[in-house]
Amino acid sequence: AVRLCRWRPLLSRPLGAPRALRGLAAGPEMHFGFQTVTEAERREKINQVFESVAKKYDVMNDSMTLGIHRLWKDVLIHKMNPSPDTLLLDVAGGTGDIAFRFINYVRSVRERQLQRRLKHHQNLSWQEIFESYQEDKSNSLGDSQVVVCDINREMLKVGKQKAQHLGYSKGLSWVLGNAEELPFDDDKFDVYTIAFGIRNVTRIDLALQEAHRVLKPGGRFLCLEFSHVSNPFLSRLYDLYSFQVIPVLGEIIAGDWKSYQYLVESIRQFPPQEELKEMIEDAGFFKVDYENLNFGIVAIHSGFKL
Amino acid sequence: AAALGRAGPRLWRVLGGQHCPPLRALRASAVLSRVSEEHKKEPLTSPSQQQQQQQFGSHPAGHQPEREPQGPRPSYTGQGGQESEDYESEEQLQHRILTAALEFVPEHGWTAEAIAQGAKTLGLSVAAAGMFHSDGSELILHFVSECNVKLSELLEQEQKLVQLGEAEKKPTDEFLRDAVEARLRMLIPYIEKWPQALSILLLPRNIPSSLSLLTSMIDEIWHYAGDQSTDFNWYTRRAVLTGIYNTTELVMLQDSSPDFQDTWRFLENRVADAMNMSNTATQVQSTGEAVVQGLMGAAVTVSN
Repeated sequence: AVRLCRWRPLLSRPLGAPRALRGLAAGPEMHFGFQTVTEAERREKINQVFESVAKKYDVMNDSMTLGIHRLWKDVLIHKMNPSPDTLLLDVAGGTGDIAFRFINYVRSVRERQLQRRLKHHQNLSWQEIFESYQEDKSNSLGDSQVVVCDINREMLKVGKQKAQHLGYSKGLSWVLGNAEELPFDDDKFDVYTIAFGIRNVTRIDLALQEAHRVLKPGGRFLCLEFSHVSNPFLSRLYDLYSFQVIPVLGEIIAGDWKSYQYLVESIRQFPPQEELKEMIEDAGFFKVDYENLNFGIVAIHSGFKL
Repeated sequence: AAALGRAGPRLWRVLGGQHCPPLRALRASAVLSRVSEEHKKEPLTSPSQQQQQQQFGSHPAGHQPEREPQGPRPSYTGQGGQESEDYESEEQLQHRILTAALEFVPEHGWTAEAIAQGAKTLGLSVAAAGMFHSDGSELILHFVSECNVKLSELLEQEQKLVQLGEAEKKPTDEFLRDAVEARLRMLIPYIEKWPQALSILLLPRNIPSSLSLLTSMIDEIWHYAGDQSTDFNWYTRRAVLTGIYNTTELVMLQDSSPDFQDTWRFLENRVADAMNMSNTATQVQSTGEAVVQGLMGAAVTVSN
């Protein structure tokens, strides 16, 4: 929390006085990548970033991470290991990657369950078997549902189009909402995920509190996010790749250098694993733990509302 | 007291009035405290605890303007003495979830699904099963340790009866037989899925825990059987009984006779074998001693 709420005394910045005055009016100073902006400005800038990248979001993800982001998201869903009656809230889930993977996973778990049940009931009449097939076909997801929530309309639009294109319709809903102030009731969801989104939230502590609020008792919080590489050699390579290659890719593929410069800088500004773990604990979660993927390039944090 | 100690550092953070309030201490978890409300014991009112109640009572207002305490939580100003008892630890909650999950094992096997169903019966989300490993190891280890505890209690009761003179002290072979049978009978409700459990217990990751549970159980049985050896016999006895237990368990998995009669007969034979073996061993030992004494005598004679 200290990182985000940086209060600079007025007197120490004579040149920046007008800025500081503006700062007083529009909120505390925060970081936007490596720039310093006010809270309100940050929200606006991030909004613009995602509006402009929305259409090329998936393509850019693939090219920047060389497709590895798919594996990271798969690991997240495997770690979640959802059972067929899970209600998932995917925040900042814009283009739906996590939601689609969740649906696939739950479908296959459900199929296995049904097969096992059929094996047990070997002595059914044809009528009973027919009826069970009917009921199972209409319930292929086994009562699980995903709600995809995103603050940016463009990202949601892209997500909906993708869903239609890929044929996902059941058990999926799209909601426009702010992670810091979710439009849902208390104690509703089994799992809350936020994949590569919490970095862009302006008040992370509020988002964590909201996550705690909307989760059922026993519910799980999962956060997939870029994090800090502690290995010095790897960290140098990673920095080199991040600052030299990614913005260039951004310009070539999406025609947008600045957004990807912001992306890379925001990764550096985000709290490291232990700090995020403490923030999650402060929000009231228990059994908080994290798992590094690829030496800390990405980390999955998990906590339970007990 | 332990729970209070655990909540201690958080208490200090609150009372110290830091900038970022540690919400954990004041926002007592939705499940952990609610649960202990159901298990309310006699409220112990002690003056020191009362004092802490009041301190708690005065702080929430100042530190958390935007969030009120949720739901059916014990009020910090009221309950007098309930404070430390309300913080059930995470381990205890996990314990309860696993116990509840055992009911679903015959249907779902020793899997995360059974744990999820167990959590559901406690009013928790199915996602709580994520606290445990996805292969169900913790569930099996929990079950085994519970069985061992039950066995210990059984043996202790028997011993009490003997001490009180209400029962005869059994000869060793009968004692061992009964103890192993009692322990194996606990597997009967789960016998269909037990092979799966055994294979999971043999995973390298689980071997330390499963081995220690096994050895402590065997140790308990010998202890109650009256074994007080301090020499190498201690090891041989345990090795022998471990062998008997494991082989009988495997036989039980394959047994389809009514009430597992074949298994108990197998057990009887193995225990009898072990007794004979120990007799043979003592015979060999005494013969060996005699031989050694003879040699020593001869050596003395020769040297003289």
